[in-house]
Amino acid sequence: MSEWFTSDAHKQWLAFLQQSGGPWAQFLRGGAPSTGAFEQWTALFDGAGGMPREAIERFVQGARDYVTFLQSSLGKAGTSVEGMAGWVEPLKRMFAGPAAGGAFEHPFARLWPGQMAAVNPFAAGVQLPSLDFTDLKSWLALPAFGPAREHQETQQKAALAWFEYQEQMARHNELMLKAAQRGFELFEGKLAEREQPGRQIDSLRALYDLWVDAAEEGYAEIALSQQYREVYGALVNAQMRVRSHAQREVERLSSDLGMPTRSEIDSIGERLQALRREVRALRGGDALVDEVAQLRDELAAAQRAAAAPAARAAAPAPAQRVAARRPARKPATTANKAGTARKSAPRTAAATASGGFATRIAQFADASLGGKRKARKATTTVAGAKRSGKRPGKR
Amino acid sequence: MQPIRIEPAKAMDEVLTTQRKLAAALDTLRSMDDVDFGVTAKEEIYREDKVVVYRFKGERAPTAKVPILIVYALVNRPYMVDLQDDRSLVKNLLAKGEDVYLIDWGYPDAADRWLTLDDYINGYIKRAVDAVARHRRLRKINLLGICQGGAFSLCFAALHPARVQNLITMVTPVDFQTPDNMLSNWVQKLDIDLFVDTLGNVPADLMNLCYLMLKPVRLNQQKYIGLVDILDNKVEMENFLRMEKWIFDSPDQAGEAFRQFLKDFYQGNKLVKGGLRIGGQEVHLGNITMPVLNVFAEQDHLVPPAASRVLGEHVGTKDYTQLAFRGGHIGIYVSGRAQREVPPAIHDWLAARC
Repeated sequence: MSEWFTSDAHKQWLAFLQQSGGPWAQFLRGGAPSTGAFEQWTALFDGAGGMPREAIERFVQGARDYVTFLQSSLGKAGTSVEGMAGWVEPLKRMFAGPAAGGAFEHPFARLWPGQMAAVNPFAAGVQLPSLDFTDLKSWLALPAFGPAREHQETQQKAALAWFEYQEQMARHNELMLKAAQRGFELFEGKLAEREQPGRQIDSLRALYDLWVDAAEEGYAEIALSQQYREVYGALVNAQMRVRSHAQREVERLSSDLGMPTRSEIDSIGERLQALRREVRALRGGDALVDEVAQLRDELAAAQRAAAAPAARAAAPAPAQRVAARRPARKPATTANKAGTARKSAPRTAAATASGGFATRIAQFADASLGGKRKARKATTTVAGAKRSGKRPGKR
Repeated sequence: MQPIRIEPAKAMDEVLTTQRKLAAALDTLRSMDDVDFGVTAKEEIYREDKVVVYRFKGERAPTAKVPILIVYALVNRPYMVDLQDDRSLVKNLLAKGEDVYLIDWGYPDAADRWLTLDDYINGYIKRAVDAVARHRRLRKINLLGICQGGAFSLCFAALHPARVQNLITMVTPVDFQTPDNMLSNWVQKLDIDLFVDTLGNVPADLMNLCYLMLKPVRLNQQKYIGLVDILDNKVEMENFLRMEKWIFDSPDQAGEAFRQFLKDFYQGNKLVKGGLRIGGQEVHLGNITMPVLNVFAEQDHLVPPAASRVLGEHVGTKDYTQLAFRGGHIGIYVSGRAQREVPPAIHDWLAARC
């Protein structure tokens, strides 16, 4: 290590630090990268390839953390006079989280507030001071009375939901902290495994990647646990209750102002969807379209089978007779298979449709072809169905 | 011996390289246009509400007698299967002579809030199958279901076995309660009714954040630090941005369908335990008697291999094939190995059965 301080590379490095300009020289000179420098650089990404804003933010945050890590690492290298032994511990500590003087803000800390904002704009970013929830909750549980009783009770419930959400968030954060600590323990274990010759970490990136592996393992242990299942569920449920109360307040205000509410729009949407299903069922539904398709197959097969003897009779040469038989065999098989399938096909839609059977077939043949089928063809289909002579009896 | 042996000169080199790459971002990003995706030409053959069925056009006419209809998940956009010229499941299937169709679900909005799984499976998928079958003058077609779309395809094939010639499922959850399924662990104690009643349609941003929380450090930090390495490479940056766009280009989820999916599939695990009812009919995987090819990814963090692997124990077919792909949930479509391995495997399997 001591050679480093007297090497040409070190001298060039120092010269570079002194001469470099621009925002990125700042972090190389040993100062923390300025927010301004990152902001300037972030602006480069605006509109780049349609990159989403949240992705840009994550990238910039990641780059910022990584640059801090590199810069601090070099700082340790530059100041350590104890050789490698003096560098290992400070490097390890850089992964212990910002609270312990580390370089990386754990993504756990950023993601949940983002989730909160995604589903609950009313509550996003709001932080309550440290309060004695037990005391407050008992106050909020007092019965309401008077002309504004209903409103007061609603607001008390909303406030209680908010306090409950804060409690659940605290439980969740506790588990996230535990996950981060567990990640660091695993990181130390993984580092210990690298003490063997040939397995040592030889780059800052490899060190970072090892920490990521450990952090993910630590997180997965917690996130897959029964305890997390319960805490996560309680947190999301509490979050939904907060949002629900807020929505009700907005509804009430909208209603007072004579504006349409979400409940009303939902109600219309639900009725509309139910109506669409009813209309489809009244038109016979998809089951009848299926049945028509099956009947068409069978009809085509029957027509080919009926045409075959005539063709045979008209055909003078043996070679031509063979050619005419071939298509007749295949439809016979198809008709057989279709007949088997028909037995298990549901019949209820067909039974409830209006009109005679032939009329219905013609109607649905038309409908299934988008109304483009000519009446003559539909009639042919019906006539063919009648010719087979068995279907109505089977029904 | 110390576990860390980083030579100061090498550390300095890493810093300088990082600095150079960050500075290069200026030139790279200035020269980039909006990334495009969905490279293969296609024609619309059916449309209903926001749902569109496309037929892809290859460079030559398809040789396969039975077409494939891809049923993608609702939670992401389906252009993942045709992301870019050198990463396209669709293009590679077409090159093999397959005839490929795809259901594009569109972006549900408040008007779709009340769509149920019955509407999706016995409605949209059923009519998409009808449309493709009509287009090719067939009764049966091949279904290729992906992820949640695979679960839907299983339901469809079980309810309408006469309409499916061959069934292919890719990274499809079947057992939704394997011990390594993180998403499943998280939703077990959720009050789904409260959740959907409150949110209506489930916002895409919320879904994305849930997925990011599955591997928070890797997906929110390490990936972007890795981006520094390619800041001076326009092509790689475009690939990255294309993928990034796909990841965050997520539709909202229709509330009622989401409610049923979480309650019946995740919380009830009814696809394997039984009792799943779609449109009043019970879904029995035992009704799936057509040939089945089940492709899953060994490093899948969204649908653990164990969740897919059990399919063979539940389907009624005697012709069941399983293919384990060495990669992840996304890599199975876009990695170089996927291009070499997955489309030929699907094609060969189909060719032996059609």
